[in-house]
Amino acid sequence: MPGALPISGPTSGGEWPSDAELLRRHVAGDGDAFGELFRRHRDRLWAVALRTVCDPEEAADALQDAMVSAFRRAGDFRGDSAVTTWLHRIVVNACLDRLRRRAVRPVTAAGDEQTLEARLTHDPDPARAADIRMDIDAALRILPPAQRAALVMVDMLGYSVDDAAAILDTSPGTVKSRCARGRARLLPYVAHLRGNRPASERVSPAQGNDS
Amino acid sequence: MTHPDPDVLAEFRAGLGTGRRRARIASHLAACERCTGLSDQLGEIPALLAAVPAPAMPDAVAQRLESVLAAQVAQRDSSERTVGDPAHHRAHDLAHDSAYHRAHHRAHQGARHRARSPRPGRHWDFRLVALRVLAPAVGVLVLAAGGYGLSRIGGSSTSSVAAGSEAASAASGAQAGAAAAPSSAATSRPEAAPLEPAARFGVVTSATDYRRATLPQQLKRELQRYARPAGSVQELAPGPVKECVLRVTAGISPVSLVLVEKAYYQGQPANVIVAARGDHDAAWVTTPTCSAGSDYVLDTTTLPGTSAS
Repeated sequence: MPGALPISGPTSGGEWPSDAELLRRHVAGDGDAFGELFRRHRDRLWAVALRTVCDPEEAADALQDAMVSAFRRAGDFRGDSAVTTWLHRIVVNACLDRLRRRAVRPVTAAGDEQTLEARLTHDPDPARAADIRMDIDAALRILPPAQRAALVMVDMLGYSVDDAAAILDTSPGTVKSRCARGRARLLPYVAHLRGNRPASERVSPAQGNDS
Repeated sequence: MTHPDPDVLAEFRAGLGTGRRRARIASHLAACERCTGLSDQLGEIPALLAAVPAPAMPDAVAQRLESVLAAQVAQRDSSERTVGDPAHHRAHDLAHDSAYHRAHHRAHQGARHRARSPRPGRHWDFRLVALRVLAPAVGVLVLAAGGYGLSRIGGSSTSSVAAGSEAASAASGAQAGAAAAPSSAATSRPEAAPLEPAARFGVVTSATDYRRATLPQQLKRELQRYARPAGSVQELAPGPVKECVLRVTAGISPVSLVLVEKAYYQGQPANVIVAARGDHDAAWVTTPTCSAGSDYVLDTTTLPGTSAS
């Protein structure tokens, strides 16, 4: 079917139109092109949004803001990055905007740390997969948003440091540093998941902010 | 040497730091079992995080975003069709401002926003949290998404336009008291007729209690009950409901509404919005407090196109 589409510009060379081609068609007035672009990337964009804002409702709202913005601003896309990078950047910015507007983090760090501490002390069976996922979800919430966004993309979702840097509009060194600090901060809360360290050897949470 | 902080160890592992500093940490690690263990644990974190499966987008979210994008396409199409129509430009600007942009201006226009809004903007998110806990009244709004607005009534040759026109005249009677537009005028209005001040799209109030599991079936019945009114968002009386409709459709304007209903959802008051999209109808269920400032969508669904009968 895609072969029947009028192709006026370069594509990826394969059977399907490239992201850039879809975006160009959208700007030219094709009513289906942006939707196809969205469907192509929606699961990855959703994962990034959900892990960055830590709340499904907020993630859906942020993604909606981002897609409307991308739809309207597509004509501004200059091709100096990949279309996916551009889309991700709009999504991550919408997420960080929302977190800033809320003025508070999803749950206060202190409250989270107490909850996590209690869980670490009382959970008799930390090896179950569901518990591990819950622990990691909860632990991620204590990270500053920009640190979390970097760690989520690189460690959880497998983006390269360079891609994450382009999306976050910062340097690869900053992404590496945010990831490193994020890991250090998570360590006390996830070390037990490996089940090889007694509580007395756990380090206290790293202090300080991402910068 | 004192033990380096976990931060420092993590950055070392990531290859960061100057040569001298790295050399110092390396020699410490060679001699310190504790820090070596810590460093090993830090090295395991990426694999631990990678093992958490990435969530797929839930169907409800995908449907909602598809609706929003379809609305954007419809809005763009109608804008292009009515270039030069000053009345349309007013409507377009209003809708354009209402949703996305207003949200983004909120932070910078706190004072102005508070002056307009009964509640301070900064309490907005808190209110949403409270809504989730208390499950307060919800509003149900039903919009016809396929209407393509302005050209709908004025005799365009497309079938959706013709259907909208018939629906408009059929609806004015069924919407007793709700739609103020004279039914005889519906088929003879000029292109920009939906923007005439006399045209009012009625908001239905009902005791229908929509349930999550049966929302599509209930909506289908409800739409049959009310025939098929067709009107644009601009025909709604100004107020929170109109702002809500603009908000959930991310600023489609004008839009052909099928149903805007104040009803119930899961036993709680709710707004139901239904809009036609192609040969489908899109429906949103929102909280009754939904307005330009809060688009708390409780549920969405799509319905096979209901013929205007």
